[in-house]
Amino acid sequence: MAPVRTNGEQLQRSVDQAALVYLLTGFAVFLLMGLLGLAMRLQHAGWLDLGPRWFYRIMTLHGAGMVAGVLLASLGGVSAVIAPRIGLSPRLLWSAYVVYFLGSGLVVLATLVGGFAAGWTTTYPLPVRGDWPVSATWGFLFGYTLVAVAFLLWCLAVLLGARRRFGSLANALAWPVLFRRPASGERPLPTGPELIATVVALDGVIAVLAGVVYLVPIFAQLLGLVSGFDVLFAKNMLFLFGHTLVNLNIYVAVALVYATLGAYTGRSFKMSFPVALAFNLVIVLVLLPYFHHLYQDFAQPLPLHLLGQFGSYAVGVPAFFVTIIGSLGLLYGSQVRWSAPVIFVLAGLWGWTIGGVAAVIDGTIAVNNVMHNTLWVPAHFHSYYLFGAAGFTWAYLFHRLSGVEGWARSVAARRLAWLYAIGAGGFVLAFFFSGLQSVPRRYAVHLAEWQGLAQIAVPFVLLLVVAFAGLLLMVVRSVPAAWRLPAIEPAADD
Amino acid sequence: MQSGAAMLFLLVTVLWTAVLWWVAARAGAAAPYERVSPVIGRIRRLGTPAVVVVLGIAFVVSLAFLPYASSRAARLGEPTVHVEVTGRMWAWELSQTRIPRGQVVEFRVTAADVNHGFGVFSPDGRLVTQVQAMPGYTNRLLYRFDEPGVYTIRCLEFCATGHHLMQAQFTVE
Repeated sequence: MAPVRTNGEQLQRSVDQAALVYLLTGFAVFLLMGLLGLAMRLQHAGWLDLGPRWFYRIMTLHGAGMVAGVLLASLGGVSAVIAPRIGLSPRLLWSAYVVYFLGSGLVVLATLVGGFAAGWTTTYPLPVRGDWPVSATWGFLFGYTLVAVAFLLWCLAVLLGARRRFGSLANALAWPVLFRRPASGERPLPTGPELIATVVALDGVIAVLAGVVYLVPIFAQLLGLVSGFDVLFAKNMLFLFGHTLVNLNIYVAVALVYATLGAYTGRSFKMSFPVALAFNLVIVLVLLPYFHHLYQDFAQPLPLHLLGQFGSYAVGVPAFFVTIIGSLGLLYGSQVRWSAPVIFVLAGLWGWTIGGVAAVIDGTIAVNNVMHNTLWVPAHFHSYYLFGAAGFTWAYLFHRLSGVEGWARSVAARRLAWLYAIGAGGFVLAFFFSGLQSVPRRYAVHLAEWQGLAQIAVPFVLLLVVAFAGLLLMVVRSVPAAWRLPAIEPAADD
Repeated sequence: MQSGAAMLFLLVTVLWTAVLWWVAARAGAAAPYERVSPVIGRIRRLGTPAVVVVLGIAFVVSLAFLPYASSRAARLGEPTVHVEVTGRMWAWELSQTRIPRGQVVEFRVTAADVNHGFGVFSPDGRLVTQVQAMPGYTNRLLYRFDEPGVYTIRCLEFCATGHHLMQAQFTVE
C-alpha cells in the first residue's frame, strides 16, 4: 500500500522531482556541450576542419549552453536543499523550467540553424552587424531573454520565500550572527545554503536588470527605433550581467558543497560569524570584478579600472577562507567515506582555487595587458567552471541519486571520478600554457606552433568523455528509484 | 611579464596540489573535529590578514605598470611617432607600417564597425601589448619598441567569421 503523505510532504516531493529534472537536464546539456568543446579542441589541434563558420557557431552554442545548463542544474539542486524550510512552489519551478527550456531551444535554433555566431557574450554591436540573418539575432537574444526571465523567477521566489521564513531580509542574510545580536522574534537563522541562495537571488536580480538594460536598446535597434547606442556603456551592462551570472553560478554550486560534504564526513558547516561575514561581503564584491573585462577599453574611466582590480583581488578572499578552508577542515581526519561526490568536491576545491589565482593574476591591469583574450582567460574560467560550478553540482547530483552508501561509493564510480579529475586537470593546464604562449582565444584556426598544446589537451578531454560516459550509465540506472523516493535529507548546518 | 606570471602560477599550483594531497591523505584517519576546528579558526584569523596584506602590496606595486597613456608617458616619455589605426571586419588600416626603434610610439586606435582587439605580437610570437578598438572611441596606446623586426597585429576581440584572419604587420627598424 502506498504511504499516505501529508500536504507538505507532497509539496516537497514535487519540488524534489522538479529539482531532479533540472539536474538531469543540466547534466545532459553539459555532456552535449562538452562534446562540442571536444570538437573545438580537435580543430585547434589540427585534427578536424569544421570551417570557421561552423566553428564559431559551435563556440557560441558551447558557451551559452554550458552556462545555461550548469546554472539550471545547480539551481535545481539548491531548490531541493532549501525548499523544506523556504517553501519554493513546485508550480513556479516547473514554470521557470518551461521558460528556460523554450529560451534554450531558441538559442540552439539560432546558432545551429540560423547561423548566429557572436560568441556567448554577444558583445554589442556584433549581434546587429554580424554576417548572419537578423532572424537569428532575434532568436538568440529572445532566447537569452527567456532564460533570464526564468532565472529572475527563481530569484524572486527565493527572496519571497526567505523573507516569509526568516521574517526579514536581514534575518535571511544572517545579520543577527553578523552583528552579534539576537534574532528578532521566534524566527530561525538561515543555514549556509539558505544564506547563499538569498545572496545569489539578490545579486541575480541586479544581474538580470543589467541584462535588460543591455538587451532593450539592441531590440530597439533591431526594430529600427534607434540607430545605435554607446558601445562602452553596452559593454559595462553586458559584463555586469554575464560575468556576475557566471560568478553567481559558482556560489550556487558552493551551497551544494555545504549540502553534500557533511554526509560523507559526519561533520557540518555551522552558521557562524565568518560564514555570515563572507557571504554578506560577497553581495557587494561579486558585482565588482566584471570591470576587469574592460581594462583594455582605455576609454573607461581609470577609477573603474582600479575598482575592477580591487574587486578581482577581494572577491576570492572570503570564499577561500570560509568555504575552501572550511571544506578542508571537514575532510581532515574525518574518516571520510570516499566516493564519487567527495572526489568531485575535492577536485572542485583544487580547480576553483587554481582558477581563482589565475583570475587574480589576470585581474592585475598590468598583467592583463599581455594576457587579455589569450587562452589564459578560458583557462581560468574553465578551471572554476568545470571543477567548481559544474563539479560541485555533479557531486550533489551523484549524492542525490546514490546516497552515501550507494553506487557512488563503488570502485568503478570512484575510478571514474579520479579519471574526471585527471582529465579536467590536464585539459585546463594545456589552456593555461597556451595562454602563457600568447595564443589568442576564440580563433577557429590555430597556427602550427600553437597546435602542440591543443594536441596534448585532446587525450585529457577524451578521459573526460570516458569518465562522464561511465558516470552517465550509473546516473541513468539510478534515476527511476530516485524519482520515486524523496530527496536525501541535506546535512543540517545550523 | 608572461614568464613572471607563469612562475607564480606554477608555484601556487604545485603548493596547492600538495596541500590538497596532504589533506586527502589524512581524510581517512580519525582526528576529533574539536581539535581540527580551532586550527581552521587560526588559519582564518592569521591567513586572512596575511593574504590581504600581500594582495594590497601587489595592488600598489602594480599601479606603477599601468598600460594607460598617461602612465606610459610618465615612464617612457611623450610620443614622437603617431600611427592612426582603424579596425574593420576583417582588416587593419595603419597610417604607417615602418616604426623607428627606441622611440615612443602612439597608436590612435579606433574601429569602423564592431569592437576589435589591437594585439601587438613580437617577432618571436609573444603578445607585448594591446588595446581595444571601439566604434565611436579613439584609444591611445603608447609603446616603445626596443627590438627590431616584423611585428604582427592580431585581432584579440571576437568579431565573427573572419576574426582569426584579421592581421597586419609593421616593421620596427
